[in-house]
This record gives sequence, C-alpha cells and structure tokens, in this order.
Amino acid sequence: MSELVFGSKMMQLLIALILVSTFMILGSTRLYSCVRAFGIQSFLLAGVAGIVAYSTGKSDIYIVAILTLVIKAAVIPYIFIYIIREIKVKREIALYVNISPSLIIGGVLVVISYYLVRSINIRTELSSFALSASISLVSIGLFIMISRKKAIMQMLGILLMENGLFLGAISLTYGMPLLVELGIFFDVLIGVLIMGILIFRINRTFESIDTDMLKTLIG
Amino acid sequence: MIEYLLLAPVLTGILCFFTKTRKQVEVVSVTGSIVTLLLGMALVVDVYRHDIIVTWQNALFADAFSAFIVLIVSIVGFVASLYSTGYMGHEFEHNIIDMKRLKMYYVLFHSFMFTMLLVGVTNNLGLWIAIEMTTLVSALLMILYSRKSSVEAAWKYMIICTVGITFALFGTILTYYASVKILGETGEALNWTSLLAVADQFDPTIMKLAFIFILIGYGTKAGLAPMHTWLPDAHSEAPTPVSALLSGVLLNCAMYGIIRFYTIATKSFGTEFGSNLLIVFGLLSIGIAVPFILLQEDYKRLLAYSSVEHMGIVALGIGFGGVFGIFGAILHMFNHAMTKSFMFFGAGNVLLKHETKEIDKVSGVVKSMPVTGTMLIIGGLAITGSPPFSIFISEFTILAAGFSQGHIVASVLFLLFIIMIFAGFFYHISRMTFGTPAAGVKSGDVSRWMLGAMAILIVFVIVFGVYIPPFFNEMIMKVVNVVR
Repeated sequence: MSELVFGSKMMQLLIALILVSTFMILGSTRLYSCVRAFGIQSFLLAGVAGIVAYSTGKSDIYIVAILTLVIKAAVIPYIFIYIIREIKVKREIALYVNISPSLIIGGVLVVISYYLVRSINIRTELSSFALSASISLVSIGLFIMISRKKAIMQMLGILLMENGLFLGAISLTYGMPLLVELGIFFDVLIGVLIMGILIFRINRTFESIDTDMLKTLIG
Repeated sequence: MIEYLLLAPVLTGILCFFTKTRKQVEVVSVTGSIVTLLLGMALVVDVYRHDIIVTWQNALFADAFSAFIVLIVSIVGFVASLYSTGYMGHEFEHNIIDMKRLKMYYVLFHSFMFTMLLVGVTNNLGLWIAIEMTTLVSALLMILYSRKSSVEAAWKYMIICTVGITFALFGTILTYYASVKILGETGEALNWTSLLAVADQFDPTIMKLAFIFILIGYGTKAGLAPMHTWLPDAHSEAPTPVSALLSGVLLNCAMYGIIRFYTIATKSFGTEFGSNLLIVFGLLSIGIAVPFILLQEDYKRLLAYSSVEHMGIVALGIGFGGVFGIFGAILHMFNHAMTKSFMFFGAGNVLLKHETKEIDKVSGVVKSMPVTGTMLIIGGLAITGSPPFSIFISEFTILAAGFSQGHIVASVLFLLFIIMIFAGFFYHISRMTFGTPAAGVKSGDVSRWMLGAMAILIVFVIVFGVYIPPFFNEMIMKVVNVVR
C-alpha cells in the first residue's frame, strides 16, 4: 500500500519540489525569500499528507494535512514576517558559509542521506525516496542553523528539521497517532512563539540579532 | 487521582495570575505546592498498593517508576516554592523585579511543575511532547531578568535542546514504526503498557537506530556530554529556585525518558549494545566535568558542571546494569535531586548576600552567614560523595555493581574521576566558606523561608546516608523491577 502511494508520480513530484524549496532557502540571502520558501515547503507537505489521507481514506490524516496547511504554511510564516517587520532587521542574512559552498554542501548532504537510507535497508514497504528526502531536510536544517548568523535563521532551521521529521513520520507510518501529532503541532506553535519572544528580547538587549553577540558565557 | 495531581499546579498557576499583591501570590503559590505535594504522595501510596494505575482512556498512567519521578518533582517543587517566597521576595523588595514579573514568575513556576509531572505520568511515547514543553516554559523562566547573559543562556538552551529533542522525535518515530508492525496502527501502539509486552518482537536494527537517536536527543536534555554545552549557562543564569528545579528535577525527567526507552530497546536487541553506549556517555560526562570543576570561577556554574557529572553517574549505573547497578542509579537520581537543590539554595543565599557569582570574591560565608555556611560545607561534602551522606551510598552501590559486573576499566576511571572532583569541588567550597568576609558584607542570615527549605532537604541528605527506610527501599526495588 505504502509503496503504491509513495511510488506514484504525483508523490515523487511533490517530494522533489520539497527538496527544491529547501535549496531555495539555502540559496537565498534575503530573509523574506527564505520565509516564503518555507511557506511553500509546508504547503507541499500538506499536499503530501493530503494524498496519503486520500489514498488510505483515514480521517486522522486529513486533520493533520489541514493543520499543516493552517499552522505551518500560514500562521508560522506570518509570525516570521511579523518579527522581521517589527524589529526592522536588515533584510540580508549574514552568513558564515557563502551561498555557493552552501549549495554544494546541501547537495552533498542529499546524496549522503540517500545512501544512508539505502544502507539501513528498512524493508521495501517503506518509500526510501521519501525517507531520504526527510533525512536531507533534517541535515540541511541543521546546516542552516550553524552556517547563518541571524537568530531568526536558526529558528527557521529548527522548523526545517521538524518538517523533515514530519515527512519521515508520514512516509514510515502514515504519521503518528492523532493525539501525538496534535501535541507536536501544539509544541511547534508555542515553540515558535517563545523563540519569537526570545528574538525580541535579544534584539532589545543586544540591539542586533546576530548570534555573534551571544558568546560571553564560556568555561 | 492522576488528573487531580496534574490539575493542582495548573489551577495554582491560574490563581497566581489573578492575584494582586505579593502576599496573595505567595500564599497561593505555597498552598498550591503543598496540595501538589500531598496529591503526589497520595499517588505514590496508590501505586504502592495497586502497582499500575491507568486513566483517561489509557492516556495517563502511573507505575512505580512514574510514581518515583512524581515524588521527586513534588518534593523539590514544594521546597523550591518555599525558597522562592524568600528569594523572589528579596528580589522584589530590592526592586530588581516588579509585581508583574513576580506574578509571571509564579505562573511560570507552576506551569513548569505541571509539565514535569506530565513527563512522569504520560502513558505514551508522546512523552516527547511533555519534555519539549518543559523546555519552552523554563526558557521563559530564564529571561525573567533581562540581563544580557540570561538572554544569551536562554537562547542557547532553547536552540540546543529543541534540536536535541528533534532527534528524540525521530527516535520516537522509528520506535513507533517498529511497534506498528506488531501491534497495527492504533493509538495504543505507542503506549508503554502495550509496548512492553511485545517489545521482544521488535526489529533489532530499527530499535538500535531508534535508541541512538533517543539517547542523543534526551541525552541533550539530560546534560550528558558532549551535548551538555547549554547546561552550565542555563543553570547558572536562571533564578536560583529555578536552577534547583532544572538541576534537581528536570535532568531526572529527561533521564527518565532515556531509561524508559532503554527498557523497551533492550528487550529487542539485548543488553550489551545499549549498556555500552550508556557507559561511554556516562564516563564521558563524568570525565568532562573534571577540568571544568577544577578550574571553575563561578560557583553556580560549578554546581551546574557537577550536575553533568551526576547525570553521567546515573547513566553509568544503568549501563552497568544488574540489580545493584540499576538500584544505585535510581537511588542516585533521588539523592542527587535532594542534594543538588540543597546546594543551589545555599548558593542562592550566598548570591543574595555577596551579590557576586565569582568564587574568588566570596569568602568567610561561615562568619557572615553561620547557618548557610555550615550547610554549604555539609552540602559540599555530600555532593562529592563523602560518607556518611546519601550520595555516598548510591555512588558506592554503582561502583560495586561496576566491579561485580566485570567493567573494571570503567569502574576504575569512575573512581579516579570522582576523587578528582571531590578535591576540586571541596577546594572551591572551602575557599568560599572559610576566611574573613569581604568588607561591606553585612553579617546575618537570609530569610527563614529559605533556611526552612534547606532544613527540609538536609533531612534527606543526612538520613538517607545512614538509613534507608524499608518502604523507600521497597519502592526503589519496584522501580528496579520495572526497569529491568
């Protein structure tokens, strides 16, 4: 069943587009385009969940798809844009690793994830394509967190990782039980709000949201 | 029963929100924490009689291990709320925080209690959600003071722990995948009660992978090296009563997650793989704490690194395994919770009086604050594992387990590390306590609330070193049976 769902052309296209949106985040120096790419990615994820829901006929997954659409594709990008606007941050993002090496590293991470999933060799019932995309998302999310200076990009990196895990969960087991899934949405939403508060606080105390400033506590 | 226990801190938090004066908020908070403590005790007694309680369509449950965590949370929570009355009251009197912040503090304090209790009684791998909630609430507690350093610490804490916990989520997903194959796609497929029965049929490769992710994920939250980097910052920058909760209780909650998964995972792939991992991470944590404790300049960070060490010891005990190893580890969780909160309270008293966190600038605490000074010396001896205090018993049990299970190298290293830590730690404590106080420090102890809180804890520190009451012994044996 799972192979059927994930083998379909539509699904492969969606997952490929999700990867493309990840590279849009990697390849952009403008905060707004990063946020927009994240919104698109979440929209595509909702599409993946929608297809799984349609082909399995489970109402639980429909709820998850709708929540993804509302929370991740609309509310969270809105919060991002609100933060960017309120703290009048410079729209360019400062980088530790430049764009072109970033893109190359991203590509390498995707290849590694692909071979990693093949080497684990989880049985055929699982779509290895979706799982490798999910692990790529997680590792690229981590990479974005360490290679970008703005605190806001670290927040985006975490959300990217979370999106990757969402894709992983839905490809492995059609998502978690509804109760757990709802809890995760709750945590992600509250987490984004609290990170937003922290970013405001960082901006107020350090007059910048470059994480370069946060280097006083050592030893 | 469990519902009421969870309801108590929530209600207290809400009530705190609607209070007007300092007096009101303190009365509500202390009463609330007494109620929570009593309900926690009642739950422990209930579990003692019935072994397992399940309610709310299997969503909540309590067995001996949950009850044990609930016990730790509610005892330390209770004394921390007593201590808060004195400590935050002092901050309020000196206009460091205003009424709005004070109220916010108590609301968050009780929400924090709620999330930690929830970790203990969730009958579900969705434990993840509760652990993430503890991070969210405590990050807000850390930025109560808008100092640069607290904001920095809170941000690091939030980012590192969220990433860590994301890994744990991946481990959880893998476990669910393994369990769905046996149990089918029901909500039940993530419940401890149903998982344990079929864990031996899980695919070992997947469970190995899952356990690695869980260990890294929750290990980040439990402060195991090398993922501990956020811990000294967060624990030293939080308000002192919160530091005590973070070090004494929250680390145990994360450890609880690891041990629960360890129990399930070992049923699938045997003990060797998991226990070796735990021993390596445990030893690494103890070892990494050594240089940082020896060369430490800030006494709150000193205590934080000592927490890294003690979580390492718990992991080591579980890794050594056998009845003795696990018994020692569980007992150590309790002893560390009591002793470390005790020490943080002592450090808080010093901080209020001397207004510096630097060890070099503090001296003569015994002269300026006779009671606190004496307690610091006792606590310093206790936390480093000298007899006749409680931590000595649990460390000794773990060491004995190590030798008897044939982990000679690990045990010898463990012994060496704790001897070095003893020397370093006690050197710092004696520098602070003896000598003459700096000029300008008025003598006289802090408020009775704070000393009272410490007096309650010192009973556990001293009594459990010489005598473990039979019912408590039996309770820990029940936990050991759950874990094995």
